Parts: sequence; structure tokens; C-alpha cells
Amino acid sequence: MQNRPSGFGNPWLQLGLSVMCGFVSELLLKRGATDVAHPDSAWSWTGVNGLASPLVWWAILLIIASFISWLFVLRYIPITIAYPLSRVVDVLVPLGCWIFLAESISTLRWCGIALVVIGLALVAKPVAQIEERL
Amino acid sequence: MRLLAFFFIVVSLLSLVAAQLVLKRAMELSTKDGLQGSRFISLIIVGIAFMTISFFLTLGLLQRFDLSYLYPFQGLTVIFITAMAALVLKEKLNRRLIIGALLISAGIVLVSVS
Repeated sequence: MQNRPSGFGNPWLQLGLSVMCGFVSELLLKRGATDVAHPDSAWSWTGVNGLASPLVWWAILLIIASFISWLFVLRYIPITIAYPLSRVVDVLVPLGCWIFLAESISTLRWCGIALVVIGLALVAKPVAQIEERL
Repeated sequence: MRLLAFFFIVVSLLSLVAAQLVLKRAMELSTKDGLQGSRFISLIIVGIAFMTISFFLTLGLLQRFDLSYLYPFQGLTVIFITAMAALVLKEKLNRRLIIGALLISAGIVLVSVS
């Protein structure tokens, strides 16, 4: 890992921002896409009709913000570390669906979430050790 | 319907993997050549094009399936991106990273099939 900016430019902070923007955008996309869904139309497979929803446009703004933060992350952190860590969003999204969209989480799904958390801890531990040494 | 859905899910995932690798390469170049180099700009455009394809296919899929079912399929990209980053971008992998990536992917698959 190269010399990196500190403060707001810190790539680990940017990674967190990227994940949070991605998380909120997914919830908005689901709500927006469902609001304007026309599954009978063949074109609806392309998702273009989702643009009729204002929530989808808010989601697009958040995706752009997440993307810019992510580019910053890629500049300083190896993708073999940054990408697995960014998948913390795969725990946040089902939890968000459970809390905000009233979708259910089965026992098996909770087990999957636990595996992801263990995997994240394994990937994050060497990073934490590197940070301690700096 | 299921086969078509599977096809679009796979195309969406492959686009996402390609996008991440291209963008990482672009940002590596940017540390040497700055943000004005023509190779950097072309790679960013290619990366964004792949991400756009993935985005619209995902949006189409979201209209048919629960987000909590559909979205975790993207977790499979952890294995693909980790492996491809080691192969194509020559990033270093160790046992802990490999096991971590496998556990994350396994957990995400478990979430998606439950």
C-alpha cells in the first residue's frame, strides 16, 4: 500500500463512504424499481423503465458518489483486500431489507450472514495489523 | 423465465468483474501518469461502460425478484475478482485472504439460496 492521504481523503474512510452509499442506493433502487414495475413488457428486462421513478434517480446519484469514493479506494488499496471488505454491504443489504422493506430473513440466511462476517474479519485482520504498525 | 433470469444474472456479474479489474488498472496508471493520460481515460470509460451494463441488467432483475434474494449473487464476484486480480493484475494473495474471500462468497451464496 502506498503513501496515502489522511483525513477525509483517507482511503479506508472512503471505503466506508462507498459502502454506505452503495447500501442506501440498493434499498432505493429496489423500492423505485418495484414502484414502476411492468413485468409484462419485454423491454423491462433491460431495467430502463425503472428511470421513471424519482427514487431510482436518487439511487443513481448515490451510486455515482459511491463510485467516486471507490475509485479513490482503488488508487491506494489492493483490490484483493478492498473488494472483499466492500462486500460488508452484502450483510447490510439483507439486514436493511429486513428492517426497512419488511422482507423476511430465514435461519439459513442468518447463517450466511454470519459466514460473511467471519470472512470479513479474516480479510480485515492483516489490514488492522498493517495500520497498527504505521 | 428462470433460464433467462440466470443468463442476465451471469452477464451482469461478468460485466461487474470486468469493470472492477479495468478500473483498478486505470487507477494504478493514474498514480504514474496522472488523471490526464489517454490510457487512463480510455480505461475509465471502458470500466464505466461495463458498470452501466451491469447496472441496467440488475435494475431489470430487481423488478422481478426480492432484493435480498437477487443482490447477494453479486457476492460471487468476490471469488472471481480476487482470483482475477491475482492472475491479471499480479496482486499478492495469502492463505488468509483466500479463506476470507471463500467464506464471504459461501456466506453470500447461503444468503441467496435461503
